[in-house]
Amino acid sequence: MSRYFISLFFILTALMVRAQEEVAKKDTITRKYSYGLRVGVDLSRPTLSFLNDNYTGLELVGDFRLTERWWLAAELGNEERQQEETAGALPLYTYTSSGSYIKVGADYNTYTNWFGMRNQIHIGGRYAFSTFSQTLENFRFFESNRFFSPDEFVLGSETSQEFSGLNASWLEFVVGMKAEIFKNMYVGISARLGHLITNGEDDNFRNLWIPGFNKVTEGAKWGVGYNYTLSYFLPLYKKVKKKKEVQDRAPNGQ
Amino acid sequence: MKRLFPVLLLFTMIVQFSSCEKDDICVEGDTPLLVVGFYDIVDTTFKSVNNLRIRALDNDSILGLESAEEFGFSDRANSPDSIFLPLRIDAMTTQFEFILDSADDDQDATIDTGNIDTLTFDYLVNEQFVSRACGFVANFNDLDTTRQVFSTDWIKGINILDTTITNSNLIHVQIFH
Repeated sequence: MSRYFISLFFILTALMVRAQEEVAKKDTITRKYSYGLRVGVDLSRPTLSFLNDNYTGLELVGDFRLTERWWLAAELGNEERQQEETAGALPLYTYTSSGSYIKVGADYNTYTNWFGMRNQIHIGGRYAFSTFSQTLENFRFFESNRFFSPDEFVLGSETSQEFSGLNASWLEFVVGMKAEIFKNMYVGISARLGHLITNGEDDNFRNLWIPGFNKVTEGAKWGVGYNYTLSYFLPLYKKVKKKKEVQDRAPNGQ
Repeated sequence: MKRLFPVLLLFTMIVQFSSCEKDDICVEGDTPLLVVGFYDIVDTTFKSVNNLRIRALDNDSILGLESAEEFGFSDRANSPDSIFLPLRIDAMTTQFEFILDSADDDQDATIDTGNIDTLTFDYLVNEQFVSRACGFVANFNDLDTTRQVFSTDWIKGINILDTTITNSNLIHVQIFH
């Protein structure tokens, strides 16, 4: 009886060893990850253009997968926005900023996907440049004591005055995420914090709103922006990645 | 999930950051007032004007009725060494009656029994951009004064110290009496 057991033990052990080998083999299986270009459009800017009479804007976005986690990224946009500044309820001046911008940089995907998933939570940076013009549509003189015009500020001019050839550059910190909703189709959201590097202003009027950067705050150089993108991933080629480690933690499995 | 939290935190912080903007209240500048100083004609030291009243002829309004802070003096009080005058921005000239020993006539309150001198200020208006909240303020150039001189005038002489008015820190016009 015991002899029987011992031989059974050996057989089972042999089987187990074999099974172990099979598992190990499975783990070294090669996986293919697709690389390519993702192009898309920001949905928030056309939506705002539709809802708001004083704004038109469009932004195209694109990123290209460089490595497992790094993507080259760029945005290209054009915006026009008219704004009125008031003191209390009294109008002071109205101006329009209009121009184009380009942002180039990279995103790093911090999210570890399960194999087969291709989502992203990314942080990144951009160098951005904008050329634009500002048009002063009208202005009134600010005066804290309005002895001669108690009801409103005295009108200075209603003839629009254009300040052209303005430009600005800034560095942008980006944080966002992208989710694949259908095959190769992504929705994304990102928030941006910009810091002005150069700001080419006219002597007679300040750059108050820069396309791509948004509001220029007084005394500070920070700008805040965001986008909601819909984009399509064009797979151009596949890279094979061999998994050598036994533990199956596929980083960014795509 | 551990990785998601810091990213979400950053995201929230950036969104929050956009609401931390400076309030749009104008503190950086203002359209300046003309500063007028009163001096003794003899020894050219500061000299107060007794019961001073100043009436702007353009809108027929009296200055300093509501508060002494607005133009630096109170109506019909003894004036301090210097006062502030508003200039019209929508015109290149502003006229004031300077009334010494101002008081109402016993019979007719619309008549002032004081000594009335009329002064006209001529100037050019320029705009200057100050800040987002303030927008544009007016500056005044090429200031000049004109008046008809009578022997009964209490104002004996006028001297313009500064023809350009960009702030209200120093005296622009000296009035000797």
